[in-house]
Amino acid sequence: MNKTTLLSIKEKFGTRASDSLMERELYSRDLAPVPSWLVKLLFNALPEIVVRPASTKEISELMKLAWTEHVPVTPRAGATTVFFNTVPVKGGIVMDLNLIKGIVAVDEEQMTVTVRAATTWGELEEYLNQLNYACKSVPSSAPAATIGGWLCMMGYGPGSLKYGSLMSQVKAIEVVLPNGRVQKYSKEMTPSIDRYAASEGTLGIITEIELEIRALTSMKHFLFHVPDIEHALLAIKNFVGRKTIPYNIHFSDAHYMRTMKDLGMAHWDTKCGCLISVDYEGSVEELSAVEADIDMYMKSDTLLTRLPDAVAEKEWDERFRSIRLKRGGPSVLGGEVWMPIKNLPSYMRDLEQMANRYGVELITYGHVVSPEHTTMMTALFADETSALKYMLDLSLVKKIQDAGYRNGGCPYGVGLWNTPYIRRIYNRAGLKRIRERKRTVDPSDIMNPGKIYQTPFMLNAVHFHISMEILAAVRKVFQKGW
Amino acid sequence: MSEHVPIYTTLEKESLICARCGYCRNACPVYQTIGWESATPRGKISLARQIFALDNKEKMTDEFVQRVSQCTLCGACAHECATDIDTQRLWIELRQRIATTGKAPKGYDVLRKNLQANKNITTTGNDERLDWAQDLDNADHLKSRIGADVCYFVGCVSSFFPQASEIAVAVSEILTAANINFTTLGGEEWCCGFPLRGCGFVDDGRQFIKHNVQRIKELGIHTIVASCPSCYHVWKKDADEYLDGYELNVFHITEFIALLIQNKQIRLKAMHETITYHDPCDLGRNSGVFQPPRYIIQNIPDVTLVELKHNQMKSLCCGGGGNLQSVDPELTNAISATRTQEIRESGASVIVSACQQCMKILSISVRKAGLPVKVMDICQLVLKQMVR
Ligand SMILES: Cc1cc2nc3c(=O)[nH]c(=O)nc-3n(C[C@H](O)[C@H](O)[C@H](O)COP(=O)(O)OP(=O)(O)OC[C@H]3O[C@@H](n4cnc5c(N)ncnc54)[C@H](O)[C@@H]3O)c2cc1C
Ligand code: SF4
Ligand code: SF4
Repeated sequence: MNKTTLLSIKEKFGTRASDSLMERELYSRDLAPVPSWLVKLLFNALPEIVVRPASTKEISELMKLAWTEHVPVTPRAGATTVFFNTVPVKGGIVMDLNLIKGIVAVDEEQMTVTVRAATTWGELEEYLNQLNYACKSVPSSAPAATIGGWLCMMGYGPGSLKYGSLMSQVKAIEVVLPNGRVQKYSKEMTPSIDRYAASEGTLGIITEIELEIRALTSMKHFLFHVPDIEHALLAIKNFVGRKTIPYNIHFSDAHYMRTMKDLGMAHWDTKCGCLISVDYEGSVEELSAVEADIDMYMKSDTLLTRLPDAVAEKEWDERFRSIRLKRGGPSVLGGEVWMPIKNLPSYMRDLEQMANRYGVELITYGHVVSPEHTTMMTALFADETSALKYMLDLSLVKKIQDAGYRNGGCPYGVGLWNTPYIRRIYNRAGLKRIRERKRTVDPSDIMNPGKIYQTPFMLNAVHFHISMEILAAVRKVFQKGW
Repeated sequence: MSEHVPIYTTLEKESLICARCGYCRNACPVYQTIGWESATPRGKISLARQIFALDNKEKMTDEFVQRVSQCTLCGACAHECATDIDTQRLWIELRQRIATTGKAPKGYDVLRKNLQANKNITTTGNDERLDWAQDLDNADHLKSRIGADVCYFVGCVSSFFPQASEIAVAVSEILTAANINFTTLGGEEWCCGFPLRGCGFVDDGRQFIKHNVQRIKELGIHTIVASCPSCYHVWKKDADEYLDGYELNVFHITEFIALLIQNKQIRLKAMHETITYHDPCDLGRNSGVFQPPRYIIQNIPDVTLVELKHNQMKSLCCGGGGNLQSVDPELTNAISATRTQEIRESGASVIVSACQQCMKILSISVRKAGLPVKVMDICQLVLKQMVR
């Protein structure tokens, strides 16, 4: 960015623009515990300026300037993502959207809410609950993640099993296009608004969203223990296939159970088998019908143990706090895999073999997000203060993704770090389609460049594969000494 | 939501454990006012990780020090933390480490010097501690004495600042009216140590706690009542180390008055007002005292108690905690303006709190906003409504 552009931004935005080094460095990070020396070696993750626009008009003006001057713009909201989705890789401007928040309107007839993009899911849910409404689904990072942020990602989480992806609930959006034009899109229009799902800030800045809501209803939580993964699959399939579809199903393996127990964070006693939480929402009548149905099912499945309601409720209360696992760290590395439910047992067996091969404990948990799919997080403890060991451990993240891939899965979200797997995520036609779309909307590639569409040279699939394999091989040799 | 007990190991370890998830961000009154990532709890912890856990000492810039001092120690972040980090302890340790580098804000050093010289946060000698009581009819019993059942720990602000000393007077009159045999530590009351701790001078703070505990033991008193939430917090949480098994019942004045009402030692007369209550951070979220003040207000016949939008565990700081006012008074004002807006929205005609600092900050803010609302400490309210 040339000096004049930088100065004009500073002048226009005053105290809402910062080029302080400390500030810019903070905006060159997300949750990913990638050592900064490695990032510096590979990319220009340091923005030249961070700006906090307060209105659609300001966003539009900033985008017009960036468009004319060919300056990269990286949108950032809750910054709860882990693949450097919000971190620039080509410097430029980071646009902190957190002032674009608040509820615009609730339409009780249409059962929709219009909300500014950087409102958090926690804030929206609290607001709606006061009116006896609720969000249809939320991410498990609801206290910090924003409506726009989740829409720009995959948009699956608790509630998706019953109500579908976030995009399926969106009626209309307002977007500032890369050229600065403000555009409203509705479900019925062409081009479809669906293109913004999983667009990760590469097609424009979403400023307002109208989405469906539901009536606030009662909930009933169940927590089951099953002896093994095969049985877990049987039970999950059964719950998904029964008359009433659960609001949410969460799965955790024995390693998760044991770790949480050791950390003093478990409400259950056992350390083996698997846990399945099944949550329902509906009217009191619907919930008592569910209770009766579950009782009946329990009679036919003697290996399914139902844990006390109080424990099930505590599990539900903790639904946004899976990250407390970090207390076992200090660092946690992991891979999140989008995967067919039916392959869960073979994925878990693959992981078990991998764990034995590398002498590492792999902890797995996740959500059933559609009748066919699950998002599984597999994590391992690491220590980022020990640079070499940490680098070697990083190679295991690829091994996790490989296990997912062998079982019909792919990474959940792309950002920067998952670009080496882009061909696992999109097939040839899909990739061609999204690249063409990007070229049409943003021919100069100023919106969040370096993400999704192309693997940067330094992460090129071949280089990446070879270097990760070497690191993994070294990791395997040294594992016994650790 | 179930409650979690905050955990603290070391600054290095906790800063590495922090997941940078940002659950703490929206709860932070400082971030909500400043708006930059560096003002978020996760931003500051991220920098602390660089400096202390990853040994990048050059990141200890003046800008970072400023951000660490821009914190009211309200504890909202600790309550929200997804990994249960006791962030409040972390902020104090950070300030402690900064203090050892000599980079601490000047205001902290001034405060420390006053405390070393006078044993209180002002420039006044500690022998004037009981000056607030000079207009009371009979103040002899307030002079530190053996044989009292209860010690009223007045605190520096209520002892030395004229507006706040109305709280001390009210407490004294309420306890007298309820026939409580009480005294104070008089000139032997030293600052509770909380402000020193808050500046990062943790060891100096300990000396003050030790002194006060020693005096209490000498008087053979087993019940202490504090009207300042920070003093109360110190007596409740930090004094154990020096009490060393000595039995001491610690009450905040709201807990004590609630008991007096329950035991019918105090009766309150009617008042036709809509009152809202502001939870002081160190009394509510950080010490768990939520119900007694509400119980007191609800025991005033004809009063309507309305809650502020953020209340109890989720209460918003008034902006006056963590020695913030001494380093960034404008930030204090901006934070208190947010709270004042909630007071406006509540529709109350009286805002009651149970802390001299909250009362001071909110009085200024309410006046600036031109709100026709009366700001009162709960002791003043009780004194006014007490049937004599
Ligand atoms: C504990 C935990 C649990 C999680 N659970 C889930 C889960 O259940 N489901 C799930 O999908 N993810 C989950 N995530 C990942 C992440 O939190 C979500 O994807 C979240 O919705 C991202 O929202 P955000 O506001 O943090 O977005 P950010 O991280 O700020 O941004 C995400 C992407 O969107 C872009 N962006 C953000 N806002 C806009 C906008 N208004 N316009 C244009 N582009 C924008 C950014 O450039 C970036 O590429 C979890 C993360 C954590 C830490
Ligand atoms: S203690 Fe309060 S002011 Fe300080 S960082 Fe935490 S939330 Fe912010
Ligand atoms: S909530 Fe806790 S873990 Fe998350 S960013 Fe804040 S301090 Fe760190």
